[in-house]
Amino acid sequence: MGRRQALRDRREFLKRCCSITAGGLAGFYGLSNSLQLANAAVGPGGEDYRALVCIFLFGGNDSWNMFVPRDAVPYGAYAASRQNLAIPLANLIQVNTVSPAGSYGFHPSCQQLANLYNSGDLAVVANMGVLLEPTTKAAYDARTANLPAQLFSHNTQQQHWQTSRPDSTERTGWCGRVADLLTSANQGAAVSMNISLFGNNTQQTGATSLPYNVTSRGVPTLDGINDRNTINTIRKQAFESILNMSHQHRFVREYANVQQRAIGLAETIDNELDNATPLSTQFPNSRLGQQLEQVARLIQIRAALGVDRQVYFVGAGGWDTHGQQATRQPNLLGDLSDCMAAFYGATVEMGLEDNVTSFTASDFGRTLTSNGDGSDHGWGGHSLVMGGCVNGSRIFGTMPTLEIGGPDDTRGGRLIPTTSVDQYVATLARWYGVPQGQISTVVPNVTRFATDDLGFMQLIP
Amino acid sequence: MSSVRVASLVVFAACALWGVGCGGGGSGGGAPPPQDPFDTQEDAARFLTQATFGTTQEDLQVAMALGREGWLDRQHDIPMSSQVDYLNALGQGTPAQDRRVEGWWQIVLTGEDQLRQRMAWALSQIVVISDADMGENAVTYGMANYYDMLAENAFGNYRDILEHVTLSPVMGRYLSMVRNEKADPAENIRPDENYAREVMQLFSVGLVMLNQDGTAIIGTDNNPVPTYDQATIEGYAAVFTGWNYAGIPSWNNGSYRNYIDPMEPNESFHDTNEKTILNGQVLPAGRTARVDLDSALDSIFNHPNVPPFISKQLIQRFVTSNPSPAYVRRVADVFANNGQGVRGDLWAVLRAILLDDEARNGHVTNPTNFGKLKEPLLRVTNMWRAFRARAGTTGFAYGRPERDFDQAPLRSPSVFNFYRPEYARPGEIANAGLVSPEFQILTETSIIGVTNQFYQRTVEGYSGAPGTNLTEILLILDFEAQLAAAPIALVDHLDLILLEGRMPGAMRQTIINYVDALPFTDGGYNRAAEAIFLVVSSPEFAVQR
Repeated sequence: MGRRQALRDRREFLKRCCSITAGGLAGFYGLSNSLQLANAAVGPGGEDYRALVCIFLFGGNDSWNMFVPRDAVPYGAYAASRQNLAIPLANLIQVNTVSPAGSYGFHPSCQQLANLYNSGDLAVVANMGVLLEPTTKAAYDARTANLPAQLFSHNTQQQHWQTSRPDSTERTGWCGRVADLLTSANQGAAVSMNISLFGNNTQQTGATSLPYNVTSRGVPTLDGINDRNTINTIRKQAFESILNMSHQHRFVREYANVQQRAIGLAETIDNELDNATPLSTQFPNSRLGQQLEQVARLIQIRAALGVDRQVYFVGAGGWDTHGQQATRQPNLLGDLSDCMAAFYGATVEMGLEDNVTSFTASDFGRTLTSNGDGSDHGWGGHSLVMGGCVNGSRIFGTMPTLEIGGPDDTRGGRLIPTTSVDQYVATLARWYGVPQGQISTVVPNVTRFATDDLGFMQLIP
Repeated sequence: MSSVRVASLVVFAACALWGVGCGGGGSGGGAPPPQDPFDTQEDAARFLTQATFGTTQEDLQVAMALGREGWLDRQHDIPMSSQVDYLNALGQGTPAQDRRVEGWWQIVLTGEDQLRQRMAWALSQIVVISDADMGENAVTYGMANYYDMLAENAFGNYRDILEHVTLSPVMGRYLSMVRNEKADPAENIRPDENYAREVMQLFSVGLVMLNQDGTAIIGTDNNPVPTYDQATIEGYAAVFTGWNYAGIPSWNNGSYRNYIDPMEPNESFHDTNEKTILNGQVLPAGRTARVDLDSALDSIFNHPNVPPFISKQLIQRFVTSNPSPAYVRRVADVFANNGQGVRGDLWAVLRAILLDDEARNGHVTNPTNFGKLKEPLLRVTNMWRAFRARAGTTGFAYGRPERDFDQAPLRSPSVFNFYRPEYARPGEIANAGLVSPEFQILTETSIIGVTNQFYQRTVEGYSGAPGTNLTEILLILDFEAQLAAAPIALVDHLDLILLEGRMPGAMRQTIINYVDALPFTDGGYNRAAEAIFLVVSSPEFAVQR
């Protein structure tokens, strides 16, 4: 639990988390009702503010080494499967797990994640991956299972992760569809609900909404085209007159649209960032750390941007550890751990730890087996969810048997996910404010699974 | 530019090329007639935008004198510029990665082998390696050598490229084929699948079965038909075992590196079991690493997907994001057979791409969709070549263009290049069923950065501009400054050299009025730079037609 939250009156806390469910119930009576509820909250960026932060680990996180069972039998299976990739038992950072029973530990480079887990602000969602339907080993072996296309391929699995509907030709992502649905929650907002710190991505692309891109260095403004002196003003007039001409070619028109949108937004955001009080939280100087710091700064100016709901996308590369895993993984996981902890600290500093939920995503888990000094593309893997509203110190889904040829193994140590990304997304989307009746718009295939609420977000039954 | 002047320039160019028949009467009788002549200078400029890193006045004259085919033939025979030679001349031992990028700038901005280098650039975005993941100085020469390999084979055969790529030690490191060893069940070790997967998905056949026109084959279940499955990947992963750095003293020597010579086999680590590869082909047990590799690359190269898969991407890099299926088929047919029974002849493919009727006339027949968003770096090279950009006092010292343009040679974020061939910009473009790869890196952030770069590199970036930094690459605007006394002449020149004569009337008038209002005090340099800025920052210039 968050520091502030632990001190807060429990009833007050429940009431606030409850408002989401109120929106959800209203969803049964139609979208407009629920949106009125969402809009009934205090002004933009106020008490009802909520943000999702997606941390995409590009390349496929070898999460079998990130969070490891410590009890003799499962650890024994893990060590036997992983051989030279296995983390020695003594090096794992033991953590206290409320449920399920059993002892687990984090990778030795993940001290900060272990701390967050122990304080109840971080949960693990186990053996999750992209699925089209619940998939058993028997169905997989018999080739009767309806499987995602191009399993184990980077970009196809990323696309599945990001769209949740690989069968669709619409090429919209689930965060984009959330934004399409909840646009009116940000009525009058200066900026898109989706902001990317990692460039354009399908996940945040909707039918009508596109992500706004910022870099960790901020938003650049135009040189020489502004009103700082006469020549700049005259130049600006000429530049804008060319930009605003009617353009015959579709690509030319789109280029002009992007330029026009960019100019307006950059001025607004740049001013607000300049005027914001600097955060005291220190972030790692890594690419991920700098992105998350910028997210924190943008959340700081949420009121000025007129937003009540935001989805941020940050990314980190280099997770495709086919080779030199033993030397690369400590750096990757250590950075992730430090960056996530810093970001959580910044939300505490802003008093928003209950309003911001961060979660990890990755192409796929990796093979249990080694290729000599690394691992290959797998399927299921563990993910992390962090925030004051997270039911921390717990594992959701089912911990797999980490055994070659075991009940979860396709073969070669690629484990069949027992929890679908769609279920993970549905749980996050509900917390974010998507009405129950619209969850299947966000993740249509979720209805094929046992539940669309994995329970890792605190909600009132 | 008057027609009289154009004619005299053409004669001059022809004299320069052949050095004959230009003594007295100026008849020009010794020069061969242009082959497949251009109707207009604008046509020639369009062709050069497709085929080079940017049109120059000199190239325009040469192209007019030679015609399309003549120009292509001449380009074919120009000696290759080499990044390795560039690095050698620096004499730095272990140069930083930025040095090879600077070499790239020098070559694409000043080299004569424009078509060859443009093809190498296109290929470098298909058979991708990147120093984003291996940026240490020890790899610089290997990266430059890899790029040179692409240039050397730019007019060669794709089968050779596949082999050079597969055995390249930098690729071996990038996609972890180096030291890939046979299965060891006792240790739960299996062959590494990284290269096996990407060589198929990205370098040759792609994920789904294709018709010769590049469209996907739809199966009985109404879904595209996968080209291969996981078992195929495992087959190739086993094929690609047993290779290591050339000359390595022992298999597991961790400090030895050889990023130049092709990888060499070590049979003790090669998987000699039977292997099933594409199309169910079975490689018998007991063969050497080399024999297995040859068979495997043949099987990939001869897969029916390769001609449309590679041809379409090359068309996208040179001509248009959305070639018609018929255009793709015409080029793919040449890829499959150059007319003499040879498959994979890239020179024939390149000719087919650039000489196709759609490349010539698509802008007329399909004026709302034909063409492509220019790659960010090509916008810069277009401008710098047009205005004779000169190296600064420390050479073409621009080793990190990705910071400004999200693009640099052999420096994409992953093996999936800077953008995907199938990326479709949501909204009007996607709704029209079009793809727009380069839009994938055009964001509200990057577009401001790029526009600022153009501002700094025009208004503040010409030789003689107040306060210029002499280490920067600077435009040479003597010619344009002379024209600037008459803004109409200046704008007409920019229209030809930057926009192939397609500047819309309203834009033309806006720039003329703007330039006219600027004082003519410095011999016209500032006027010229200001006018250039308005053109190169315009949506029109951003899109190649």
